Amino acid sequence: MLSFLSRRVLHAIPTLLGITLLLFVLFHWVGGNPVYRLLGKNANAVEIARMTHQLGLDKPFWNQYWDYLRDLSHGSFGRSWETKQRVSEMILDGLGPSLSLAIPAFILSALISLAMALTAALYRDRWLDRLLVVLSVCGMSLSVLTFIIAAQYLFAFRAGWFPISGWEPGLTGVPFLALPILIWVAASLGASVRFYRAVFLEEMRREYVVTARAKGLSWPRVLVHHVLPNAMIPILTQLVMELPMLFTGSLLLENFFGIPGLGNMSVNAINASDLPVIKAMTFIGSVLYIAANIVGDALYAWFDPRVRVS
Amino acid sequence: MKSRIISPPLALSVALLCACNPYQHQKNVYRGALSSNLKTFDPAQASDSYSNQCQFQIYECLYEYKYLARPYDVQPCLASSLPEVDDSGRDYTIHLRSDVEFQDDKCFPGGKGRRVTAQDFIYSIKRMTDVRTQTFGWWIFDGKVKGLNAFRDASEQLPPLPDSIHPALYDQKIEGLRALDDTTVRIELTRPYPYFKYILAMPYAAIIPHEAVDYYGEEFLNHPVGTGPFILKEWRRGLRLVFERNPNYHHGFYPTTGEPGDSAAGLLEDAGKPLPFLDRAEFYIYEETQPMWLNFLRGNLDRSAIPKDNFSQAITPEGLRPDLLQKGIHAHQMQELDISYICFNMEDSVFTRDRKLRQAMQLAYDVETVIDRFYNGLGIRAQSPVPPGLFGYDSAFRSPYGHFDPEAARKLLTEDGHPGGAGLPELSYLTVAGTDARQRGEHFVQNMAAIGVRVKVESCTWPEYLERLRRKKFQLVGSSWSADYPDPENFLQLLYGPNAPPGENNASYRNPEYDSLYQRMAVMSDSPERLTIIRRMKSIVAEDCPWILISHRTTEVLAYDRVHNVISHPILEAPLKYYRVD
Repeated sequence: MLSFLSRRVLHAIPTLLGITLLLFVLFHWVGGNPVYRLLGKNANAVEIARMTHQLGLDKPFWNQYWDYLRDLSHGSFGRSWETKQRVSEMILDGLGPSLSLAIPAFILSALISLAMALTAALYRDRWLDRLLVVLSVCGMSLSVLTFIIAAQYLFAFRAGWFPISGWEPGLTGVPFLALPILIWVAASLGASVRFYRAVFLEEMRREYVVTARAKGLSWPRVLVHHVLPNAMIPILTQLVMELPMLFTGSLLLENFFGIPGLGNMSVNAINASDLPVIKAMTFIGSVLYIAANIVGDALYAWFDPRVRVS
Repeated sequence: MKSRIISPPLALSVALLCACNPYQHQKNVYRGALSSNLKTFDPAQASDSYSNQCQFQIYECLYEYKYLARPYDVQPCLASSLPEVDDSGRDYTIHLRSDVEFQDDKCFPGGKGRRVTAQDFIYSIKRMTDVRTQTFGWWIFDGKVKGLNAFRDASEQLPPLPDSIHPALYDQKIEGLRALDDTTVRIELTRPYPYFKYILAMPYAAIIPHEAVDYYGEEFLNHPVGTGPFILKEWRRGLRLVFERNPNYHHGFYPTTGEPGDSAAGLLEDAGKPLPFLDRAEFYIYEETQPMWLNFLRGNLDRSAIPKDNFSQAITPEGLRPDLLQKGIHAHQMQELDISYICFNMEDSVFTRDRKLRQAMQLAYDVETVIDRFYNGLGIRAQSPVPPGLFGYDSAFRSPYGHFDPEAARKLLTEDGHPGGAGLPELSYLTVAGTDARQRGEHFVQNMAAIGVRVKVESCTWPEYLERLRRKKFQLVGSSWSADYPDPENFLQLLYGPNAPPGENNASYRNPEYDSLYQRMAVMSDSPERLTIIRRMKSIVAEDCPWILISHRTTEVLAYDRVHNVISHPILEAPLKYYRVD
């Protein structure tokens, strides 16, 4: 197992280097010269040359890339061109609000969708199953923006059940987070329920399930004690792959509900072409994605020894 | 038993959900909205209206705009009187007040704010001039003050920040920038700049204490220390800013005079009273318009702009909707000091000599529809670069091509040897990527197609857009300009030949007569002679059509009746010290 993990970590290094190069090339050639934006409408030729030199943008491409790698290796993402803050501090500031929304939403979403999928599987081809499938398809068909705009207007503004927007740290923040969490859960249920239901149904066709039923066990008992543990491999893999998304936050939810998280920060950076922030977020997102892949593989190998052997 | 297990979390949830509304209205507390994140509290970086709006609550300049006066003018703020200017128009002597102190802050010995002196002004300008500060605002002093450019060049040799925050170079004398004593500043200009008093009222010229820069270093941008009516209590980026009354502020008073009608509008009820009236002010940041609008309608905000998509829900042809009036909401209209236009690249072979083509395209552009569709009908069709509210604006002035007449446009094209657009290549219209900009581009394409001129829309990112403007890599570009200071020079310089890219003259327009008139007008104070020159310049532009003139925008904001003394000012956005909230 250890050698399996070591191999996967070693493979990640060239992947990460490739990502940094791709990121750098992309923003170097496609993003446009940031100096013109930084100096604004009143720039002149002397000031443009001066700022280009100050930012090191007059250095050869490979020197700039080397500087970028050197800074990354020191854990430095530089300073935002827009706000002049340290990017690492901006990320730390935004992490708390993002996670305060994402973690409860993720856990609730996983638990509810598993429960709904189990119910659908239990009552397969009956009206409850069909209703859940239809609702799931409807949920998948609506964009998250529709959920946000409608829920904010109806439940927060018209009904007054929730604050319209805002964020506070700690327990005082719960009322502010309640509606965005519910929206996150509602918007993500459709796809998850459909996927988990398919996994459960696949599992329920296996011979051990027939044996268990033949021994006289009830469907709910078979589902919870036998089907669920065996279905956990694809489900866990799916859940682990969703973990990096918790870090990047929900761009739309954070923007509409005024949650000062990383999604909100990323949108601002994109709108302002704030390349240090965009590069940092993309890089960290990539690292987390690779890490989630490794964890997913490890879980798979843990549950299924054939993977380790191959 | 079961119910006892379930009820505590339920009770907690209900209690939390029913927790008191943190936005509940309170006397002397103002709640406003910002539609974008504030970037910084460093005056040297105050390049956007949101930064300006927030910095004006904390920092002050030698001069400030009169709140109620029209046309716009300045009055002393940290100065004790208007500048004494000698006959040459180059030497300014400015006396500072001797009774103003910085806010209390831990950067000062004992945490007690000290008195503001002339040396603070000199330091503030030197810091702004220092190349390492990477200011957006150097252009306000570039080439204007004797010896200041040499100081800037010398600052390039300094070690990079944060080392040497206060280098020995700062102690060197600058010929045109001297503190004669603690309360007197002498500024020598390289030539007369009649609008220099406005420069001294810009946030870039705000006075900062060197102690704050020394103490906070690179984090100074997060720790404003000023002399203004408020201090920063809380700044959570992406969420809100909270200001509280500055106990050291004693030098501001509500104006005692205003324009005709101000008294009847209740704007002089607080005449002569000490400022500010508010104990606390909060700005909430809304990246999306829906939450801002809903919070305003709920009464959680005291003042709000009207989002484009909600305009018809607020304003009808008869005015503000009755249900909003019943809620105690009123609309405040403001004529912006700005112009939007489509710029021809006069160095492009298609447009260099083809004046009739430019005139025809101006005639073919349906500007009224643009104002209706994209500005909710709020705006004035522009006839010259000078907007209403500035010296030189004349509502009766009409450009011969400043109206929609496709038939006349076709005739001009035929006279030009391009009947129905024959022989013309497909033109490119550059704009910034975005739904609104794309729709405007498509409208332009349709209008031009109606006279046979083929145009394609080219969208790009904001940095690419700026780069292409500076490098003259475009044929037609949608653009706009907002006033930096209320002088027509700020708009007429946009077509001054030597300001061609990378300067602000994006059209690369060159007309020797216009340039010569500009040079004369730029150094003159307002007078009948200056007005005559401006009229001639406007006529030249109208005939040459280096731009397709579009509009001077009008904006409308809504506020609850509980907020008093609200007027809209195109340069002073939300000057909270004048607001009173019942």
